[in-house]
Amino acid sequence: MNDFRLIMRNLFGSRSRFALTLVGITLGITALVVMISLGTGLRTQIDKQASDLGANLVVTPKGWCAYEQVKVLSGNQLPDAIPPEELVKIEAVEGIETLPYLTVGSAIENEPVPVTGILMADTVEMKRWSVEKGDVPTDGTPTILAGSSIAESFDLAPGDPVTLRGVEFTVAGLIAETGTRDDAVLFIPLDVAHEVYETDGRVSFVAIKVDDVSKVDLAAQRISDAANVAVVSDKQLLASVLSVVDSVGTTLRIIAAVAILTAAFGIVNTMLMATFERRRDIGILKSIGSSNARIFRLFLFEAGAYGFIGGVVGLIVGVIASRLITPYIASNEFTAFVGSATVDAIPPFSQMGLILLGSVVVAAVAGVYPAMRAARLTPVEAISYE
Amino acid sequence: MNSIMKVQGVHKTYNGRSVPTTALRGVNLEIEAGSFTCLVGPSGHGKSTLLHLLGGLDRPCEGSIEAFGQRLEHMSDAELARFRAHKVGFVFQFFNLLKGLTVAENVEVAMMFAGLPAKEQSKRAAELLESVGLGDKMKARANELSGGQMQRVAIARALANDPDVLLLDEPTGNLDTVSEGEVLGILDELHRQGRTIVMVTHGAEVAARAQRIVEVRDGRVSV
Repeated sequence: MNDFRLIMRNLFGSRSRFALTLVGITLGITALVVMISLGTGLRTQIDKQASDLGANLVVTPKGWCAYEQVKVLSGNQLPDAIPPEELVKIEAVEGIETLPYLTVGSAIENEPVPVTGILMADTVEMKRWSVEKGDVPTDGTPTILAGSSIAESFDLAPGDPVTLRGVEFTVAGLIAETGTRDDAVLFIPLDVAHEVYETDGRVSFVAIKVDDVSKVDLAAQRISDAANVAVVSDKQLLASVLSVVDSVGTTLRIIAAVAILTAAFGIVNTMLMATFERRRDIGILKSIGSSNARIFRLFLFEAGAYGFIGGVVGLIVGVIASRLITPYIASNEFTAFVGSATVDAIPPFSQMGLILLGSVVVAAVAGVYPAMRAARLTPVEAISYE
Repeated sequence: MNSIMKVQGVHKTYNGRSVPTTALRGVNLEIEAGSFTCLVGPSGHGKSTLLHLLGGLDRPCEGSIEAFGQRLEHMSDAELARFRAHKVGFVFQFFNLLKGLTVAENVEVAMMFAGLPAKEQSKRAAELLESVGLGDKMKARANELSGGQMQRVAIARALANDPDVLLLDEPTGNLDTVSEGEVLGILDELHRQGRTIVMVTHGAEVAARAQRIVEVRDGRVSV
C-alpha cells in the first residue's frame, strides 16, 4: 500500500460521484482547448494569409475598420469602393507594382461562393501560385482560375462551364493547394468582373508591392498624397486584424475560465462531501498512525487527481471537438480562416502541458479547504462518527 | 514487573454544545508490560475515554500520561501520530475497517503509516492474516466478511507494526458467541506470547480472562 494506491481507492470508491465531478472539470478544460484552438487557428491563418498577400502595402478606401480589413485577408466580399480614377493615380506612383482586387460573390448550385476579380498574370506571379491543371486564364475572357478546395467541392475541372451572375464562364485552370483562403475562391479576370458585376471600374482594395522594401513608408506617403485613399502596411493590417482576433480570443478564454471556475467549485463541493462521508475513515487512519499532515496531503492529492484526470480527458475531448467544430465555425465569414487550418487549430503540446498543469493546480487549490477540514478532525471525534 | 504506562491524576471533560461532560475525574492507573488488563464498568462512565487517552487518540485536560518514558500530553500531533503508528494497536467494537480496501490492504495501510516498504507490507500482512485464520481472504473486500472475520482483520491490523500494547474497545461487543470465542482465543494466545493487552468490556466472562480487572465508574477507577 502506498499513498497513490490509497488515493486511487478513495477516488474510485464512489464511481457516480467521481464521474459527475469529472464531467465538470472535463467540460471546463474542453471549452478551454476549443477556445484556444480556434484562437490559435484564426491567428495562424491570418498570419499566413497576410504573408501570402504578397504585398507590402494595402490600399483601402478611407474609413475602413478592422472588420473590413479582416475581409481583405479572408477574400470575402467587400464594397467596390475605390473608383477607377483613384486607381489610375495610384498606378502612376513610381517604384510600386499594383494589384487591384474586386471581391464579389455568386452562387453555384445555390451555394454562395466567393469570387474575386484580379489581373490574372500579375497576381499569379506575385502570389507564386502553381497552376496544376489547365492554364492561367487570359484577361478579357469569361474564364475562371479555381482554388483547390472549391474545385474539389464542386468537382470542377478545366473546360467545365460555370454560370456566374447569368454569364457562362469556363474553368481555365486549377490552383495547386496553397493552404490559405485562396483555395476557396473563384478568380476571374478583373475586366470581366467589372463588366459582369457592373462596377464601373471600381475595385475593393489594391495590394501594392514596393520595388525597394526600405522605402515602404515613402511609397505609402506618395500614394496617400496622390489619391484619396487609405494606405496601410501589411504589418499594420496584420496588427489591426490580430487585435480584433485577440479580443475575440480573450472573450473566449473568459468563457472557458468561468467554466473551469465552476468546475473548481464542483471539486470543493465533492471534496467537502468526501470529508463528511469519510469522517470515520479519517478517524481510522489517524488511529492507526496517520498524521494530520498526511491526511491533508491525501485529500489534496485526491483533489489534484480530479484535475489531472479531468484535464487529460478534457484535452482529448477538446482536440476532437476542435476538429469537429472547426468546419461549422469556418462557415462564419469572420472566422472563415480556420476552415483550411484544422491541423494548426490544435494547441501545441507545450500549451496542452500548461493547460494540464493549470487543471491540476486549480483542482488542488479547490481541495485545500476540504483537506484542511479533514486534517483538523480530532481522531476521537472522527472515529465516533456514526 | 515494570510499568510501561502510567496515568496520574487525569481529568477529561468534553465541552459539548450545551453543557460540559466530565468523563474522567482524577484517574490513576499503571499498566505493566505483558499484562492483560480489563477495564469494566457501566456505559458512559469513562472506560473508552481512558483507553483513547492511553493510546494517544485524545489528550487529558489535567494530569499526566506517561507511556514508554514519554509524556503523551506534551507530544505534538505529529509525535502522537508516530506513537499510535509504532507503540499501540487499536481494535474497536465496530471493527473500523476501511470498506473500500481489500482485507490485505487494510492491514498494509497501518504499515504504510509506520514507513514500511510495500514489499514488506505485503509479506507481513499475509503472515498476520494467516495467523488469524484469514489467509484465504486477503483479496476479499472488507465489507464482504462476517463480523468475526472483520474483527480478526482488525486484530491483524492492530498487530501490523508489532506494537508494545494492544488497546481493545469492546472487541467482542458486536460478535456472536462463536466469533467471540475465536477472537478471545487469539487474544489469549497473544497474551501468552507476552503482548500487553488493555481491553474495555462489558462482559463478565470476557473480563474473567484478564489478569487484572479495573472498574471505571463515574470517571474514577477502582482496582
